[in-house]
Amino acid sequence: MGETEKTVVKGLSFLGVGIDANCVQVDCRDNKIVRIRPFHFDWKYDRKPWRMEARGKVFEASGKTLIPPFTLGYKNRVNSPNRVMYPLKRVDWDPNGERNPQNRGIGKYVRISWDEAATLVASEIRRIEKEYGLGGILLQADGHSETKVVHAAHGCNRSLLTLLGGYTLQVRNPDSWEGWYWGAKHVWGCEPVGKSAYQSNIVPDIAKHSHMLIYAGCDPETTTWGWGGQTVSQLCYWFTELGIKQVYITPDVNYGAAVHADKWIPIRPNTDAALYLAIAYQWIQTGSYDKEYVVTHVVGFDKFRAYVLGEEDGVPKTPKWAEEKTGIPSRIIKALARAWAAAPTSTVHGNGGNMARSPYATENIRMEVCLLGMQGLGKPGVHMLSTIEWGLMGVETPPYEFGTSVPVPRHAFYPSVEAANRGFNFQGQRDAAVQLIPKDMIHVAINEATPEKPISWYGTTFCRELTEDQFVKYQYPAEGAPEIHMMWSDTPALMTCWNDSNYIAKAFQSPKIECIVAQHPWIENDCQFADLILPVATKFELDDIGVDNLSAEYGTLFYDAKCIEPKGESKSDYEIVCAVAEKLGVLDEYTGGKTADEWIRVGFETSGVQDYISWEEFKEKGHYVVPNDPDWEKYPVALRGFVEDPEKNPLTTPTGKLESPAERLAKHFPDDPERPPVPHWVERGPTHDERISGDRAKTYPILCISHHPRWRVHSQHDDMQWLREIETCKIVGPDGYAYQTAWIHPNDAAKRGIKHHDIIKVFNERGGVLVGAYVTERVMPGVIHIDHGSRYDAIVPGELDRGGAINTITPRNTTSKNATGMVSGGFLVEFGLANLEELRRQYAEAFARPYKASTGLVWERMMA
Amino acid sequence: MKVLLIDIDKCNGCYNCQIACKDEHVANDWSPIAKPQPDTGQFWHKVTDIVQGSVPKVRVRYMHDTCQQCDEAPCITACRSAAIYKRDDGIVIIDPEKCAGNRSCLDACPYNVIYFNTDLNISQKCTMCAHLLDEGWTEPRCVDACPTGALKFGEEEELKDLLASAETLPSDTPAKPRVYYLNLPNKYFIAGAVFDPMADEVLEGVTVSLISLESKRTITLQTDFFGDFWFEKQEPGRYSLKIEKTGYVAATLEPIEASKDLNVGDIALQPQGETHV
Repeated sequence: MGETEKTVVKGLSFLGVGIDANCVQVDCRDNKIVRIRPFHFDWKYDRKPWRMEARGKVFEASGKTLIPPFTLGYKNRVNSPNRVMYPLKRVDWDPNGERNPQNRGIGKYVRISWDEAATLVASEIRRIEKEYGLGGILLQADGHSETKVVHAAHGCNRSLLTLLGGYTLQVRNPDSWEGWYWGAKHVWGCEPVGKSAYQSNIVPDIAKHSHMLIYAGCDPETTTWGWGGQTVSQLCYWFTELGIKQVYITPDVNYGAAVHADKWIPIRPNTDAALYLAIAYQWIQTGSYDKEYVVTHVVGFDKFRAYVLGEEDGVPKTPKWAEEKTGIPSRIIKALARAWAAAPTSTVHGNGGNMARSPYATENIRMEVCLLGMQGLGKPGVHMLSTIEWGLMGVETPPYEFGTSVPVPRHAFYPSVEAANRGFNFQGQRDAAVQLIPKDMIHVAINEATPEKPISWYGTTFCRELTEDQFVKYQYPAEGAPEIHMMWSDTPALMTCWNDSNYIAKAFQSPKIECIVAQHPWIENDCQFADLILPVATKFELDDIGVDNLSAEYGTLFYDAKCIEPKGESKSDYEIVCAVAEKLGVLDEYTGGKTADEWIRVGFETSGVQDYISWEEFKEKGHYVVPNDPDWEKYPVALRGFVEDPEKNPLTTPTGKLESPAERLAKHFPDDPERPPVPHWVERGPTHDERISGDRAKTYPILCISHHPRWRVHSQHDDMQWLREIETCKIVGPDGYAYQTAWIHPNDAAKRGIKHHDIIKVFNERGGVLVGAYVTERVMPGVIHIDHGSRYDAIVPGELDRGGAINTITPRNTTSKNATGMVSGGFLVEFGLANLEELRRQYAEAFARPYKASTGLVWERMMA
Repeated sequence: MKVLLIDIDKCNGCYNCQIACKDEHVANDWSPIAKPQPDTGQFWHKVTDIVQGSVPKVRVRYMHDTCQQCDEAPCITACRSAAIYKRDDGIVIIDPEKCAGNRSCLDACPYNVIYFNTDLNISQKCTMCAHLLDEGWTEPRCVDACPTGALKFGEEEELKDLLASAETLPSDTPAKPRVYYLNLPNKYFIAGAVFDPMADEVLEGVTVSLISLESKRTITLQTDFFGDFWFEKQEPGRYSLKIEKTGYVAATLEPIEASKDLNVGDIALQPQGETHV
């Protein structure tokens, strides 16, 4: 081991858009990754960890990165037998003849050369341009992945098409925090994200002042992992040590509740608004809310109060009323209301979980913010603590700069490598896009829209858009713009991560779509519908530069050096687009006349770190650890300014105060029953009927929740053999296939004759998925929980999936009529034993594909 | 002499230890300490989820199984090829060259932590990453990867204070393990909640007494603001629960069989003088 040739510091988070975290030390030797381990900050720099003190106890920042298991075992992913090794073309896709779109998802592939591949992409671009205009090309150029900078994993195609002068943009929506973006913004502003933008020094304030923390749908032991590691886990243990009660209000004992909860309150999925209304009712009845604060900091409370008390609709939102909706005994609701009002209480969220991603999620989230307002939001110990993406869009004022609002002691500065980024446009300007399609409406756009009958919606849906845009109506096809006829994706994961993706499968097979190009390191999910699949190298196979700004302990700038040679003929996303640019004759313009190495240098010279060490020292050491800000305590806690003087320190709402009713909703959508100016309980509406009180529930009586996965980051990591050995990740069926694990309660299992580890089918009108039953007390009766992102393995594309991709059957419609968010949790299903023998007979081909239980799908299955 | 200390109550179940072990040993040859571990199927440091209780009193604890590095290791005496030896630092190693694949160590191990590699025809197990310790590492990969401090590794002398309250895993044959545990899930919680059905309120400050039917030992606590009570880490056995509050008819639940973590449910306490329906 003494001969280890090289140790490289790399970021290995899975945000994918320019800012990294989860730094590791990679030991490599002879074109092989020997080991991946936590990065020890004191390896080459003398640094002092920050410390917080509260109630006589100290929390000291870790001296090493607290990486998650998928970072630690990532070697599996690099060496996956599902890597794309060569450019591939679908055999029955003939660009000069029959394109056979109906065979997408079924057809096999042949190997082609890079030259042929680049020529095909370039000629298809020119053909589309000639026949329809460049707006006929839809770019999917966003999302999560390995984080690369010069070799950016997302958006290189967009830079090229911007240069050419046009394209249609698939808009990157706030896919994990829909309820905040479409709901909370209308109460507290918090531009541009909608989650609490005011995070500065919240953690030390909670440590000193809070008595209770409420984790509504939040899993601090899961959601944070891919973004910033496990620091939050340590903080949760510390909160316990400090005597702060941690209450989990969730349908399941998520991984945070499993080890940190002082109290678990099981709640029926997507009924949080009802619980919150009953709490507000109790507070109003008993007078136990901050009346002075409400007078000075809240606008419209009378109308809110009237709705809560039933003066508006004749239905007082009593604890008994809420018991029926939520399944929580009214006495527990009353006890929670008392405890919450008795002492400073904060809520904690990753991005909001299912309550932020459900039908009418705006109402759950708006109500939570209203409750915080009733208890003096921003006062000592009264906050919404965000557990992830610290500093990223966690912002106080324009221009929303990175790192200005961090809940823990902040770094001395936050380096930026944005100047070197060849792909993702972090500011999200629309460049040359001739029209937009929201990511959650791609299927509707392709399957339903025509120039004669365009579809329309509100807001660009871009995740950093300001609220005013939510009142602008957009349409597809846009005025004078063409329909899309080609898709070019560097994010082929709609099947596993977006809404009603069985309908997306149908869109992929649409005859309107003449060409689909997917570039990705692995053959998975949407790649299986592509006409051309282009192999991408992982970040272990490239030289790049990166910055870890999301870790709590320190910031780190690193020379993201190559460890091994690219697998097969894989190239970086940037190199792939360079190859296409060359065929189009615009290579020099595209690269800016610089090599990748020169761009790395640009990254360093503009990072901010160049003021502290030289390029030579940086290359020699391989990284730079940014010290902590010794004056971190001087930054005021979160909304303290607003609390003290709301006129001088207003929120970004029209009135500058907390709004309920929301002024802008009252102006633009006064009669919207699904998102009225005052947050409401919406039992059902024109857009959704996903409640157990409805007729659909007679056929589909179970509510399905689908969390951000424990053992993946969205669709990433599903092929990691060491994670797939964990029972809550995969369950191997009698047929040797490793099925996605699904949690069901023993009562529901018994009713259906299901035993632990049986393979079951979960289904509704939109289709079915096969999963492995994990019969457990960790989920309340009447609920099934399936982590999203399990790799799609169609038995019948668009109908039945063996891989357990639960998003194939999530609701198609957006959050509500005027809120264009995605819905992915809190929907109705039924489940029962799967008859594997019968299925095998019926779908012999699907069941006979090359497969390895340890890693799942293998690339050979795709070959003709 | 080295020891490993595992605090079950500090484990968040991230499985980093299990994965780090595989990262180190799969497809890496650390002879003479260890040959490569197979791609999957062996767990030299194994984590197992233990779901405790029932809705809504549910927790999860994570058990860790690994070679206990016994001072009187049954595997050493059982091996017919004299392939297993104990190092000066206390670590037990199966010499991959000497191992003849007769599997007697697998039968002898009271903890079922030795695996058989059919491809290489050898027995394999945790080495405490001795190849790294010999290179100057201060701890094995599992400990380096642990984010919570649930795993600690070091000299027995240095960890003396923590070891004082720790225990080792029981076994049929005396083995003297060098792996110590805090908060082993071999004791159970007995939890429940108390409420007033007439007032539709949880009852805070109710006196709940847990009486061992065997030793008659009594523990008393008060319900919290949710009316909940949790008797933590109770010995397995038969108990009686007495629930009392001024103004209410006292209730007794017995016998309670605590052979696992137990949610006794929500207990309705009737106000005195009220006729309950």
